[in-house]
This record gives sequence, C-alpha cells and structure tokens, in this order.
Amino acid sequence: MSETHESAGIAENAKNAEDKAAAKSAGSAKSAPVISVRNLWKVFGPKSHRIPGDPELKDLSAAELTKRTGCTAAVRDVSFDVQNGEVFVVMGLSGSGKSTLVRCLTRLIEPTAGTLEIDSHDVLGMDKARLRELRRKRAAMVFQNFGLLPHRTVIDNIAYGLEIQGMAKAERRAKAAEMAEKVGLAGLGQRRPVELSGGQQQRVGLARALAVDPEVLLFDEPFSALDPLIRRDMQEEVIRLHREEGRTMVFITHDLSEALRLGDRIALMRDGEIVQCGTPEEIVATPADDYVRDFVRDVPREQVISVRRAMRPADKSEANGGAELSPDTLVSDAIETMARGGENLRVVDDGRTIGVIDYACLLNVVAGLDEDGEGEPDKGKEVAAV
Amino acid sequence: MSTPTIHEQGEQKAPDAPPPRQADTGPEQHAAPSALQRLAGSPKALLVLLTVLVVVVSAAVSGSGAWPQAWTVDIRTPLNDLDNWLVDNRETSPIFLYFLLHISNFAETSVDAIISLFDSMGWMGVTVVGTLIAWASGGADLSRRALRTGGTALGVFIACGVLNMWQATMETLALMTAAVFGSALLGLLLGLAAGLSDRFERMLRPVFDTMQVMPAFAYLLPLLLMFNIGVPSALIATVIYAAPPMARLTSLGLRSADPAALEASASLGSTPWQRLWTARFPLARKQMMLGLNQAIMMCLSMVVLASLIGSEGLGDEIYQALGSLDIGTALTAGIAVVLIAVLLDRTTSAAGERLDATVNVGTTRLMARVRLAVWGMTAVLLGVFAAIGSSLGEREWPDAWTVDITRQLQSGVDFFTDHLGTGVPVLGGTVTWAHGFTDYLLNPMRTGLLTTPWWALALLVGVVGWLVGTWRAALTGVVCLALIGMMGLWETSMDTLSQVIGGLVLTMVVGLVFGILTARVERVERILRPVLDTMQTMPQFVYLIPVIALVGLSRSAGIIAAVIYAAPAVIRITSQGLRYVDPAAMEASRSLGATSKQQLLQVQLPLARKALLVGVNQGVVLVLSMVVIAGLIGGGALGYEVVQGLSKGDLSQGLPAGIGIVCLGIMLDRMSQPAGQRPRE
Amino acid sequence: MKTKQIRNSVIAGIGVLGVLSLSACGAADTSGGGGKDDKVVLAEPSWVGAQANAAVVKKLMEDELDVKVEAKQMDEPVAFDALDSGKADAILEDWHGVPKKQKKYVEEKKTVVSGGDLGVIGHIGWFVPKYYADKHPDIKDYKNLNKYAKDFRTSESGDKGHFIGAAPSYSQHDKGLIKNFKLDFKHIPSGAEAAQLKEIQRLYNAKKPFLTYWWEPQWMNNKIDMTEIKLPKHTPGCETPEADAKCGYETNQLEKFLNADFAKSDSDAAKFIKNFKWTTKDQNQVAGDIAGKKMKPEDAAEKWIKANKATWQKWMPKK
Repeated sequence: MSETHESAGIAENAKNAEDKAAAKSAGSAKSAPVISVRNLWKVFGPKSHRIPGDPELKDLSAAELTKRTGCTAAVRDVSFDVQNGEVFVVMGLSGSGKSTLVRCLTRLIEPTAGTLEIDSHDVLGMDKARLRELRRKRAAMVFQNFGLLPHRTVIDNIAYGLEIQGMAKAERRAKAAEMAEKVGLAGLGQRRPVELSGGQQQRVGLARALAVDPEVLLFDEPFSALDPLIRRDMQEEVIRLHREEGRTMVFITHDLSEALRLGDRIALMRDGEIVQCGTPEEIVATPADDYVRDFVRDVPREQVISVRRAMRPADKSEANGGAELSPDTLVSDAIETMARGGENLRVVDDGRTIGVIDYACLLNVVAGLDEDGEGEPDKGKEVAAV
Repeated sequence: MSTPTIHEQGEQKAPDAPPPRQADTGPEQHAAPSALQRLAGSPKALLVLLTVLVVVVSAAVSGSGAWPQAWTVDIRTPLNDLDNWLVDNRETSPIFLYFLLHISNFAETSVDAIISLFDSMGWMGVTVVGTLIAWASGGADLSRRALRTGGTALGVFIACGVLNMWQATMETLALMTAAVFGSALLGLLLGLAAGLSDRFERMLRPVFDTMQVMPAFAYLLPLLLMFNIGVPSALIATVIYAAPPMARLTSLGLRSADPAALEASASLGSTPWQRLWTARFPLARKQMMLGLNQAIMMCLSMVVLASLIGSEGLGDEIYQALGSLDIGTALTAGIAVVLIAVLLDRTTSAAGERLDATVNVGTTRLMARVRLAVWGMTAVLLGVFAAIGSSLGEREWPDAWTVDITRQLQSGVDFFTDHLGTGVPVLGGTVTWAHGFTDYLLNPMRTGLLTTPWWALALLVGVVGWLVGTWRAALTGVVCLALIGMMGLWETSMDTLSQVIGGLVLTMVVGLVFGILTARVERVERILRPVLDTMQTMPQFVYLIPVIALVGLSRSAGIIAAVIYAAPAVIRITSQGLRYVDPAAMEASRSLGATSKQQLLQVQLPLARKALLVGVNQGVVLVLSMVVIAGLIGGGALGYEVVQGLSKGDLSQGLPAGIGIVCLGIMLDRMSQPAGQRPRE
Repeated sequence: MKTKQIRNSVIAGIGVLGVLSLSACGAADTSGGGGKDDKVVLAEPSWVGAQANAAVVKKLMEDELDVKVEAKQMDEPVAFDALDSGKADAILEDWHGVPKKQKKYVEEKKTVVSGGDLGVIGHIGWFVPKYYADKHPDIKDYKNLNKYAKDFRTSESGDKGHFIGAAPSYSQHDKGLIKNFKLDFKHIPSGAEAAQLKEIQRLYNAKKPFLTYWWEPQWMNNKIDMTEIKLPKHTPGCETPEADAKCGYETNQLEKFLNADFAKSDSDAAKFIKNFKWTTKDQNQVAGDIAGKKMKPEDAAEKWIKANKATWQKWMPKK
C-alpha cells in the first residue's frame, strides 16, 4: 500500500488527499477493516459492568454518572473501523478517554463491554496466550513517556520485543541494529536511554515497536512530551515510515495540528464518546457541533479545505478557459495560483469543469464563512454532481 | 513588614493539619480577648494547656501516682512456667524437634562453615579476596570509586589485623555473611510479595512500622526463649531485625518502577514472569541495593549487640571489656567495628552507585566483560585460597605484626577521666556536668513523672497523640501506657521515660542548632556531612564506649550516648526541612528585606514545621533504643531489667521489661508522629 | 491483574519453603554445637575471681596436659544451660546463685554433676567502709541504717540513701530486703562488677560513706577495709521469692560443676578439673594481678603457676 506523501507540512500532505482517498476506498473495497470496534465501553469504578447494559445509566452525563454510581466512563459506546494502511487519529483533550481507548485495543486496559476485532479475530474473547501473541506480532505500541528500560542499551531496548518473543541474542541484536538505522539512531546503539535526548528516546521507542514488525502501530501521544521542533521532526519521521511501509497506524494526540497533519481520518473524542469521525477536511469544514467547531476554530482553514468545497457552480461562460485546478487542491494553493494569474480558476475533475473559484470563494474559506449552513458540503456535492 | 503575612499563613495552616474538630471549642474563639486570641484561635493549644494544668495540679495534690497495685496482672508466674516448660521440652517437643531446632542447627552450621572457610583461607586469602570483592563492587576499573573502595577494604583488613582483632573480626564477618544473606533473602521474598500484592503490602506495612520503632534490644529476649543462648539466637535476631528495610525498599522499588516501561513491556506481549525479570527487577535494582545497604548496616549493629545473647566476635570483645571496664580493649574492638562498618557501607554504596543507570554512563561491552572476569577471578581465588591459603602463612594475622594499643588507650582514657572528669577550674568537668544534669533535670523529671497520677499521664498521652496524630494514635498510646502499668513496670518505665525525655530535649537542642547551622552555612554542611553519614551507619553498641570514658557509668552516660546516636538523624532532617522550604516564600521574604534572623524565625522554621516534627519522631525512637541499651552502662530502669533478664536467663524478668520497652516505643512514636505520614523510608 | 499470577506463585513458593523446612528433614539433631571433641570449654562467669580460676586452669591444662581449652564468658544461669546441653564442659566457681536450675539439671535431669569444692569459701553481705563504721559503730546493725541514710545520698538516689547494688547476674535479693526492712535507701544496680569496683574505689579514696553489696573472696579486700552490716541469719529458701526476702546471704563452699558426659569420660582434663582446688588467698593473688595491676590473665596465671608449683602438682591426674 505504498503512498506518496510529501513531508513538508499540512499543505503538501493534504495535496495527496486524492491518493489517500483512493487508497482508502481501495482498502475498504478489498478487505475487511484491520480494526473493528463496536459499542466499546470502559467504565472505571465499583460494579462498572452494569452500566453499559443499563438503559437508564448509560445515557447519563459524565458528572451525573459519577454522582449516581461512583463510576467514570472513560470510553462510552465507541464504534469505528480502521482500514488497512490508514492512519487513524484519535484526538481529544486530556481526560477525553483517548488513551484508555487505545489501551483497550490490545487489552492493556480491559474493556467493560462491546466487541473488538483485529483482523477479524475477536480480541475480547482471547485467552492470555493468544492475547500475548496478538501483542507480540500484530500490534505494537509507542508511548508518551517512552517506557524505555534505563538499564539497557539502545540496541537491547529495541530488541526487547524480540527478546520477549524468544529470539536468539545475535539475531535480535542484528535486527535491532537495522531498526536503529531505520529510525536514525545509527551509531548510538551502545548508549543508554539517559544519554539520549527526548526525541532520540522516542526514536528508540518507535524502533522497538517497529522491530517486531507489527501489522498495526499504536501511538499514544508519542510526541507530546517533546519540544515543538523535535515534535515536527518526529511527525515527519512517522509520515516517512508510513509512506515507506504503509503500516496501519492508530495515533492518539491532543494536538489538532498533529492530527490534521498525520491523519487520514480523525475521530474526535469528548467525555469518552466520539463526537465526530471523518477526514481532516470534513472535521474542519463541517464540524458536527459547537464543541468541534470551537476546537477547530483556530485552524488555518485554507490549508485544510480543498477547492472542491470552496468552489461555486460554474456558469456556462466559465466552463472553458482560465487556469485549471484539481478538486483536491488546497485553498491556500488556489490563493497562490490566483494571486499569480489574477483571474478566476476552474476546478476540473476528469476533464470536466465542476466549478469555479473566484476571490469571494477563497475569502469565504479564509474568513470561515463557508460552512454557514449545515449540510452545505452535500449541497456542494450535489452541485458538483449536476 | 509583610513577613507577618507569611507567618500568618503558617499559622493558618496549623488547624487543618489534624482532623478538624474545632467546632467543639468554637464559641471561645469569639469570647477570647486579644491577649488570649492566639490561644483561643487554636483550640489545640487550649486543650494542651488544660491537660498540662490537670497533670500539674493532680501531681501536686496526689503526691504519688503510680499505677494501682490491684490493677496489675501477674505475668511472671506464667512466664516462669513457660520457661520451665521450655527447659524440659527443648529436646523433645515436636515444635523444637521439627522446626526450631532445624533452624538453629542450620544457622549454627552455616556460621561454622563460613568461619572455617575464613580459617582455611588464612589471613592473606581473606585480605586479598576481600579487597578484590570491594574493588569489583566499585567497578573493577581504575576509576576513583573502584580504587577507593578497594583501598578502603585493604586498609580495614590490615588495620583489624594490626589491632590484634583479626580473630574477632573474622567471627563477626562470618556471622555478618550469614546474617546478611539471610536477611537479604527474607527481605527480598517479603518485599517481592509486598511489591506485587496489595493485600500483602497492607498486611506487612504495620508490622514493619512497628518493627522499626522497636529498639534492637527488644528483639533479643524472644529469640532467647526459642533458641537459647548462642550463635543461632544472635543470627536469627539479626536476620529478623535487618530484613524490614530490604523488604520495604524492594517493595518500594517494585512499586515505583516506571509504569510506562512496565506497560511497554506488557504491550509487547511479555508474560508476567518475563516482565518481572526483564523490567520490574532491573528497574527496582537501585532501591534494592539501597535496601541491601541498610540491611547490612542494621545487621552489623545487631550482630555486635547480639553478643548479649551469645554471638561471638567484636561485639563479644566489647561486651566483655565493658563488663570489666577495660575501656582500652573496648575502644580497640570498637574501632574495628567502626572500620568494618565503613568498609561494608562503602562497598555496598559503591555497588549501588554503579547500578544507578544515570551514573552508569559509557559502559562498554569490553568493560562489562572485564568486570565479569574480575568476579570470576575472585571466585577462583576464593577457591584457591580455601584450598591452600592456610599453607601460605598463618591462619591468623601474625602476632609480630600487631600493635597493642589497648594500654595506651586505657591510660589515655584514665588521664582524661582524672583530669577532665572533675575539678577543671570554673568549668567543672564532664563528670560534674553529668551530675548536674542528673540532679537538675533527670531527677526532678523522674520525680515529676512518678508523682503524676497515672490517669493524668494517660490523659496527657491521649491528648498529645490525638493532636499530633489521629484518635487512633491517641488510643494506641493510652493502651500501651496501660499495658505498662498492668505488667507492674510503672516505676521502671517512668524512669526510662524520664531518661528518654531528657535525651530527647538534648537531642532536639543539638539537632536544631546544628541543623540550622548546616542549612545556613555552607562550610559547616561540607564538614559535617561525611561525619554524619559515617555516624548514621555506626552500630549502637559502639557509642557506649566513649561515653563511659567521659562521665563514668550513670544514667547521664546513657543519655549522652543516646544524644550522640540520635543527633545525626535529627540534624539531617532539620537541615533538609529548612533547606527545602518553598524557595518562593524565601525569596518573597528576602525581597521584602527580612534579616536572616527574620527569615529563619518567620519563614523557614514555621514552614519546616512538618520536617521538625518528623525529626522529633526520629529522635524519640532513636533515643529510646539507645537509652535502653544503656542499661549495660548504668542506665538502670527497663534496659537494666532486660540486661539482668538476659544475663540471668530469667525470662520472667526480662520479657516483661522487653515488652515494656516496645510499649513505650510505640507510645512515644504515636505521640510524635504527624498524622497521615510515615517517617523513615 | 497481571501481577496476580506472580503473586500467587511467590506466595506458593514461600509456603512450600515453609512446609519443607517444617517437615521434610524430620527430627532435628539435638546434640547442640559441635567442636567439643577436641577442646574443653570452660564457662567463665564475669567476675574477676572466676577469671583467675579459668586462667590458671587453662594455662596448666594447655601446658601440662596438652589439652586445648576455651574459656567462654558465661554467667551462672547461662552456664548451667550450657553444661546441660554440652556446649560447656565445666564451670569452676558456682555460688549456688541459680538453685532452680541446679536442682533441675543436677537432681532431675542428671546432665550436670558436681565437680567438688573449689576450696574457696564465698560470702556475700552488705558492707560499709571501715572508716565510716568506726565513726558510727551502731550502723553495724541493719536496723540502724535509716538513721544514717542521709549520709548516703547521691545524685542517683535523690533524697534516699544510695545502695550500691550488684552486677545483674550476681545472686542478690537486696531490693526485696530494702523494701521489706522499710529502709530509706534506693537500690542502684551496677551494670558490671568492674563498675561497682570502680565506684567503690573512688568513694573509698575520697573517704566518703557508702553502703554496698560486697563479697569475699574479692581481690580488692587486700586494698580496702570493709565492715559488714549484720543482716538476719540465712535459712535455706528464705530469700525466695525475693519480694518476701527478710534474711542475709548464705556462706557457702564454692562448687565446681561438670557436664555429666564430660565427667564420665574420665579423661585427664576431667580428672584435672575435679582435682582443681585452691584457697581464697591464691585466687585473690591472681585476681588482684588481673584487675588491680591490669595484667593479662594468662600472664597473671603464669606468675602464680611459677610460684606455686607444689600446689598445682597435686591437681595433675595420676598417670
């Protein structure tokens, strides 16, 4: 599932939205989702098991639930699918249950109710041995606090997962050295974690996860403890890896720009529930509610929204002539083109003009006036279809 | 001018520390006039004042207030019966045949085996192997740490030989080896259980807490009961005494292991055992090493003290020398003990430092191999020396190479007592001071305690316990006091209590003065720190020797020993408490132009209150443990009862006194323990 | 949750270990410590006289009989247990301070047997220095002690007279006597004999009054003059229990005791120890050298052995 992400910023990233969309639809068409979560609950507290099944309790707000039962629902009735090769980002503020959710995926935290399948295997029904097998081979995790073993060298840390699987020393060290090279740690193999910078430590964490060659990589806010600059480097590292290997990733973050940068799809969580799930553009352009709207308020919209969404229907006169754009071109790029050319632009899909971009369209996006009515994108699509 | 605000903050904090029950005394707050405002503002102070008033008045009125005779329970008779039963059945009862005797035989055999190993290695073998082990623990390279550790070991062995204490040192080391092994193993198992199981932790914690408060002395008697006098008793007492720190720190290490690392391990599909071996244990290594270090120091302390119940070696030399007032020999053996303490402490802490991952930087694989090789070589050498060592030279340190310093020491001490003990112009001399201390502080206090009615004292204990800690602490304190009374030990215990209080007052004065000095004067801190470090690792027994030289056998000798023993901990806690006062508060006061005295009195001391309370708690526990040992050097009271019980083999006398000491210890601990916190790690 | 398994395993492990140590090895060996086959262990109580006995016996046995001897410091009560269990072979000077154990081991269990008299006569009593008794002759009767109690006050005793008590392991019932005779004295124990001697020496040199537990043989009697206070006459058993004691101390022949097996072995060592018998004067001489002149016990013993060949020749077992 090789893809061709560029590695410089949201704009270029989103340039490939087309590829991604293609990949996604291809994936979903070809096979069942890698991860399939249905009605998953995790409730902490006394007698937590009764809550998901109790129609009266299950719809209570978080505060009221705590008051009535002493329980907290960290994950409430969550359902989603992760497709093969996809980067699925779960985003939310701290306490929204996203970290709990990702731990539920390999049962590092035991879910209270729901169903969970990885590769069509029922995870919740697994016994301990099979669960270990799942953790060893299928899903590896990268942690916010790295979780490195301070008494081991970098190489031995990377090889840790292989050691657990019982691989012989020489073999696993060779493999680990290879991984170290891959994540940019060549030559640091004999150091100890304390001698590394935060970014380097997280590279070790990443290499450790990669070493076991998992189908799915789970990231739990891996870069939030890092400096902004290093964070950016690391994000690029992930993008690069994804491009090279096409591994399925579930990425937890509280950082919206990170989510927008990395995610093929984003699930936004609040109080344990998924408020909205969609592509970055959908989230920014058509927030499901005020909470989401508030969340994405400061996003530079022109860098997320494509011209498909910004264009107005073309008049007959405009159907030909003038510069062409593909519908997935970002508004920011359209602005650049227009600034250079000075005239309206045509949005062309499959050789057919589906709309026109003028100054007003672009300014609407930048000013955030493009999403006034609910369901406007549908309208846009309808228009496009016409 | 604004420093008062900070001061007030400190004050305001006061009432909410213990469970708030100000409501009871609420109305008085309004009624009180300005002079009494402060008092009324804090109902606790009022309560204390009232209690003290009751105590003083009742003491003055009643004249004598010992525990009523009718309420005592005769525990001597059953204890005597038990003693008789033990003597009759020691060799026939199944509990001995199938359990206790196995333990004691095993203990005896292992110590004997180690002694004969040392014997067959000869002095040369022991010195070489010992030095190698120390060097390897320090890192087996040419670094300063490794060389210093190895050098210390070499020096200590030679010094012990030269001092003509070789044989005794070997006996002590043999006992130590067995005891350290035993207590480390026991501690490890308990720590493992407590570290992995919450239920176990909850079960063990109060036990460990109590054991920590119990003076070492109190361990000796029950052991005597089960194992009779001899090496097994000493060994087992030591193992039991020293296991808690190991267990505690192991559990702490296992519990405080980086959760992210453990989770990472789990997420990679490790089995619980894999996780334990590859993550939990290695992550707890540093704490465990610290635990081992503490366990070793406690072992040494106990092995020396256990000469009272039959351990051999340096402790026995000291004990016998004390018995015949041969201060010279006692001092020489004491020096050897101090040297061993330094050796063991240095070696284990060097090993601990090396294990600390943050220091252990730049280790190459080559170095790791070298280290392995050194350890291997040490093991081989051990074997070689064990086989042929004795043929290399004498088994014991050659007599020709010894220097007898006992006579010189003795005459030095004699000179000291003759010239400085009394009759120094104007100053009076140490003995005179000690008499003064006894006359003007100890005696009045003892009389005071004895004339205070028991119920008033119980009230005082209850109130103080409740105010400082919780109602539970208060209840425990009162129950302990009642137990003491019921065992018929009221008067002896009050005697001990008066000594503890006297010692505590002195300790706190010394601790505060030096604590403040070390916290504020860099140079004092630099000079004192290594001294304090060393003092804190010394076995209790050693402190007894110099004080007899100073003031002769008396209660004040015991108290001085207690002060010297307890002060380092208090100094340290005080200075740490002062130094770690919120820097923002300090800065605020400095920026407002407070003088350094104002800073100290109005900011540091009030803010460090909690640390000071911890200091008091530590002081009480340490002073008590020393005051009872001072029964050996004229301290009388409970300690003497234990000594007499031990040396007469009279359980019915020693055991109640031992229990009394424990009761006193728990009571004092609860009275001085701030709510919701446990001092001492 | 994951640790549960480990925890269970650990608990099970501890349990198994416990059960193993309890049962697996069957009945334990009760013979006590080893090492007594090649050497004779003497129980040496902590007073100087006993040290003198042990030093002389040790020196003679090692030099003349070529038997290795180890003198272990043990006070009477402990020594009897050791004699019973075989950890010690002999005690050379017993003051009958532990009648209970003596009865139990010698008469009932028969694991300890008498080794005959030491030849030294022991006497315990209350004493004041002669210089004080000369000034106040009527103090010689205990009934008059209260009259002079204020002379004996010290900082330790407060407003009562200071009674210098014995070291912990010595036979004593002074506390009971002071209580039962309603004496205005406070019993202040001495931590050790040496401490008591030192205190007495200090007071004696300063010609101060003092009242003390004191005994004969005692090497310091060569240097100081003491006068005994008359206490009611001792009758057997009158001092037990201490709370009811109303009599003085018994004057007794100090006795040797041997482990029964050792005595039966009829070895040279056992014979020698049975023969060993000397006088108060002999013992005081050696003890005085050790404690008074601070000689090493073996040197003091050697000095006495050189000067008294006739005496110790008689102790040698007949060939």
